[in-house]
Amino acid sequence: MVVCVAVVGHQNNPLYLQSFTEADDALKLHHVVHCSLDVIDERVNNPKRNSPALNETFLGLLYPTENYKVYGYLTNTKAKFIMVTTDLDVKDADARNFFRKFHAAYVDAVSNPFHVPGKKIASRSFSARVSTIVRSFSSGTTA
Amino acid sequence: MEDYPEELRTPPLTLVSIVGCSELHPSISAALSSQQPPMNTLALPDFSKASILARSAKTRDPLAPPQAPAGILKKDWLLKHRTRVPAAVAAMFRADQVSGDPAQWLQACSDLENLKSVIQGRNTKLVVILVQAQAGDELSEDVTVALRKRAEIDSKHLVVLVERDESEWTKSLNKLKSIFTELCSTYYKDEGRRIKARIEKRNFSSVELSIRYCFKVAVYAEFRRDWPEALKFYEEGIRVLREMIGTSTRLPPTQRLVEVKAIAEQIHFKISTLLLHAGKVVEAITWFRKHIRSYERVVGSPEVAFLHWEWFSRQFLVFGELIETTSTTVPDTLSPRFGTADNALTEWEFQPAYYYQLAANYLREKRYALEFSSSSVNITDGVNGIPESVMPSVYVGQYVRLFEQGDTVAVLPLSDTEYTSYALSEAERFQDSYEIIALFRKAYESFQSLGAMRMASACSGGMAIEYYAAGDFSNAKQLFDGVAGLYRQEGWATLLWENLGYLRECARKLNSLKDFISYSLEMAALPLFSGSGQGNSENKSKNGPAGSPTISSRENIHQEVVNILEGKHAPEITDDGFNLHLVEESTHLDIDQISPLRIVLVACVAFHDQSVKPSSPMLVSVSLQSHLPSPVTIDKLEVQFNQSDCNFVIVSSQEDYSTSNVHDGAVQVTSLTLFTDKWMRLTHEVKPGQSGKLECLAVKATISKHLVVCCQAESPASMEDFPLWKFEDQLETLPTKDTVLAFSGQKLIQVEEPDAQVDVVLNCTGPALVGELFTLPVAIFSKGHAVHSGELKINLVDAKGGGLLMSPREAEESESHHVELLGVSALTTEKGSKEEVDNIKKIQQSFGVVSVPTLCAGDSWSCKLEIKWHQAKSVMLYVSLGYSLESIEEAALHRLNVHRSLQIEGKIPMTVGHQFLRPFRREPLLLSKIRSSSGDDKKSSLALNDSNMLIVSARNCTEVPLRLHKMAIEPDVDGKQLCSVQQISGISNEYAVLAPSEEYKGIFSVNPQIISSNFRLGEICLSWSRDSSLGQSQDNCVIMKERLPEVHIEESPLVVTMECPPYVILGIPFTFHVKIYNSTSLLQEIKYSLVDSQNFVFSGAHNHAAFILPKTEHIVSHKLVPLGSGSQQLPRITVTSVRYSAALTPPSSAATVFVYPSEPKFSSEKGYSAPDACIS
Repeated sequence: MVVCVAVVGHQNNPLYLQSFTEADDALKLHHVVHCSLDVIDERVNNPKRNSPALNETFLGLLYPTENYKVYGYLTNTKAKFIMVTTDLDVKDADARNFFRKFHAAYVDAVSNPFHVPGKKIASRSFSARVSTIVRSFSSGTTA
Repeated sequence: MEDYPEELRTPPLTLVSIVGCSELHPSISAALSSQQPPMNTLALPDFSKASILARSAKTRDPLAPPQAPAGILKKDWLLKHRTRVPAAVAAMFRADQVSGDPAQWLQACSDLENLKSVIQGRNTKLVVILVQAQAGDELSEDVTVALRKRAEIDSKHLVVLVERDESEWTKSLNKLKSIFTELCSTYYKDEGRRIKARIEKRNFSSVELSIRYCFKVAVYAEFRRDWPEALKFYEEGIRVLREMIGTSTRLPPTQRLVEVKAIAEQIHFKISTLLLHAGKVVEAITWFRKHIRSYERVVGSPEVAFLHWEWFSRQFLVFGELIETTSTTVPDTLSPRFGTADNALTEWEFQPAYYYQLAANYLREKRYALEFSSSSVNITDGVNGIPESVMPSVYVGQYVRLFEQGDTVAVLPLSDTEYTSYALSEAERFQDSYEIIALFRKAYESFQSLGAMRMASACSGGMAIEYYAAGDFSNAKQLFDGVAGLYRQEGWATLLWENLGYLRECARKLNSLKDFISYSLEMAALPLFSGSGQGNSENKSKNGPAGSPTISSRENIHQEVVNILEGKHAPEITDDGFNLHLVEESTHLDIDQISPLRIVLVACVAFHDQSVKPSSPMLVSVSLQSHLPSPVTIDKLEVQFNQSDCNFVIVSSQEDYSTSNVHDGAVQVTSLTLFTDKWMRLTHEVKPGQSGKLECLAVKATISKHLVVCCQAESPASMEDFPLWKFEDQLETLPTKDTVLAFSGQKLIQVEEPDAQVDVVLNCTGPALVGELFTLPVAIFSKGHAVHSGELKINLVDAKGGGLLMSPREAEESESHHVELLGVSALTTEKGSKEEVDNIKKIQQSFGVVSVPTLCAGDSWSCKLEIKWHQAKSVMLYVSLGYSLESIEEAALHRLNVHRSLQIEGKIPMTVGHQFLRPFRREPLLLSKIRSSSGDDKKSSLALNDSNMLIVSARNCTEVPLRLHKMAIEPDVDGKQLCSVQQISGISNEYAVLAPSEEYKGIFSVNPQIISSNFRLGEICLSWSRDSSLGQSQDNCVIMKERLPEVHIEESPLVVTMECPPYVILGIPFTFHVKIYNSTSLLQEIKYSLVDSQNFVFSGAHNHAAFILPKTEHIVSHKLVPLGSGSQQLPRITVTSVRYSAALTPPSSAATVFVYPSEPKFSSEKGYSAPDACIS
């Protein structure tokens, strides 16, 4: 189950962060997402390690922590997407697929002429779309 | 890891035992332990001690049904096999013990029997060692055979050690070693196989035994250094163990779980160690993941959850320590694409810090669980008490109660309730906080060195929370402050919220009101994710003391601050003991441009103009904004400038600020209330007093009477975005209504100097003339300002640019100044009595400073500049008057300046020309003139001893009339005797006035008396002055000199003089003489020819020749009759000297005569007489 998704901006500031848990661990998820930025920095700043994937946006599993697994994705405009899941086995393809859909939703949201780049994403339709994507991911992997 | 027993942490070593001959034991055991792999020796000094090798007697009825085991692993099993159960036993006998005395032989035999009986039932191998003193000592064959038979061993298991011979000793020892190695290997293999057979046959009654067998097989394999097999059976064991959690019913559930986990921990540790030491890092990490995953949900009942978390945390800690001690690196073969299908691992998992951090997290989890458990237990069954004399049982992970009754000591099992309260009491004895802090610190330092700042600050935050929990608030505050910095920078408001919540409580506990208020205000002004969950009080442990970040909690925090400030203490705060009297004084908060409190209050100040005159009013806008959730009412607003006169105060009229409190400059405004995210714009008029920079420094807002917030003023033009709020998707408003001002407004303004009310007038009377002392009056009129310590600076600059009026090299020669400031003469004013003591007067060639006396308003002062032009140049004159309004020293720094400039042309007053003429109709033959026909010598030639005419002309080339006072030729000192110059005509009166472009001519006669090729005649000396009606004195006359060119003086051999009447009358004949004088002492032959003229008829020869005797004169006379009237050309005569072959033709002007038609009648006497004379 996806418990949290986040969009992080250029200055490593959160632009969108939504948790999907019943339990009240939103703060913990904030911590988890924030710490995962270190791994993204590490992966992005070591290009030679990732040389075969020059245009690869999917960063893979960033780190497992406690009972969460954190996945990362970096768009070409250097917006960072972070997904936190409690699923034990996540297939790469599923995670990629999730991020692809999420990216599409993000692009639509920031293409809104009333959205100022670099500001938090407050669009309700984006939230709704993200919720749908999250639900479909959860059902897809469990099924 | 250090908590684990030694036998678990190190790989097991094979154990052999030697009995007897104790003096040789040290060397043998040293030799065995130095072997590779080493071997441990259990050395028994004599055979009586062999009983310790015996099996512990078990009184088990072989016919009884097999009992279910009471536990999985015995605690001492591993230790026993490492220290007390040897794989082989060597009985040592000295050779003389077995060969000589029969009694000794018997003793040896019985010892051997004893030993055999002791090791009976085990597979322990027996070796017999015979010790010989020397190699030569032959042992009888039958003794060895007998001994072998007694011991029931192979012949090769009887070893002879030679004691005295070094090489034989080593050789025999080596043999012993190899025998031991072989026997050990066989022993452990046999043991392993024996137990493995049970597993394979499933010949066991319970799952516990299965695990135990797996463990044993693995340990035996380890003894043999058969790592793959050891690993295989450990893994098998742990698999079975995991399965039994749900099935076993032997123990009550809680204790069962504790036992299972204890076993799992041991086996897992073994597996990890084996994998890591084999260099299989990836496998080890993968194994660890699996281990964690299989146990992370096995928490058990909530009362004992803390046991699980402690255990769980230990797993991470130990694995981290293992990774650290084996200093693992990421293997090269691993795909660099971490976290993807190619490589499921991630970078951090190779770092011990990652495990330490999680260990700390779980230990904290344990602390929470423990707190929960102890509180609930205390409430439910506080009476029950803790069972006494509970101790660990012989089985790993089990606890029992020792029950003493009389002499008998019984061991009783514990119920779960008893166990729980025991475990709780044990756990409460430890302070977990410091361990958690230590773990976090370890992780923090490690992450810091890896450059993972966020991980490091998460660890730092963890430390801080523990310090907070442990009551060390100052340490906690320091750490929280450090972490808050990163969150502020990256805009993680929710994390910052938690942090500030702790900080606020720290400040409260440390009794620091100022910090409390500033943290509270910052919290209240934080932007929050709108989707944050609703707060409930239960999760305070998770969200920190601040609770969930919601709008309402922001408002509550804001309100709390207001209550404290207004003295309305909420009951919970007074409980915590905030000092009431602290609030009596006002609290100051400073907010600068980098302060995190900028989101609480920001002040933006903009002047409406860019520059202003002093004491003229201008508008300044003060805009305030706050992100606090509730409206803020400001009681008083003080705006401070660097010129304190401009400070002003705005007071809210709602407040009953007593009028006595209000400054003079205070302004009353109906309401000073700041609404959330809205700019409060105030405009005020300011009159700057002084010139210079006027800058708004700070805006001080007094809120709720006791809080003074001092905001550094910011310019709208250079205002930075709000930290944190800049990411919010909301409408950005401008600090001022005027958009231009919002983008370009500045908090500082340049106040100009006041307009000088003093006039400086430069009176110029046209162009200056070269040579004269040009005076330029400068007048200073005060038109309202008194002039104090005035100073007049005069500067002359070349108008064509180039600055100075001379090149630097010329500067040393004062003559080379083309234009020179000679002096400044102050005109005596009517108040001339005021003697200027400190009359500064510095005059240089092109620069001068003159002090101006103190002038009252309305006074005037003037002076004259005396400037002299040496050459005609155009010059810019700059005059600047600097003065101060008052004579006080402070004010003297503040000077006003008036600048004037004027361009003055320098002109040459007159052009002087000169011309040499010969006497009328008298032509000396000057040979040099004829010879140098080319004309390169432009010198004038003068005839010796003859009067030559010099005409000097002076033309006025100015636009003003000039007076010419004198025109003279000043001969050189030596030329005075050699050449007499007489003025023939000159200035008759005192002076001659020359109108512009008029010319004056003076005639001089020059009579040289020496022959010279370049004779200096001297200088033309002119004395002139301006023709001004004022009638200036003679002093103003300017003497102007011009040198005459050098002349050539020579003696002329022939002089031709024509004589002709001054005028002739038509038709009346007259005589025309040409006299040729030979001044040489030679006979001169001359030829002359006369050309016809159409206006004259003449008698006489056209061409003729003549000889002239020395010093005589020859006269050629012709009679001429004029035929036409008017100015007529006489017939031209050319005289040629044969000797010099030079022709002399008089100039046509000399050969002209005026012909009257009839006898003229002159009316004036003068005119009448003159023609008479001419005629005659």
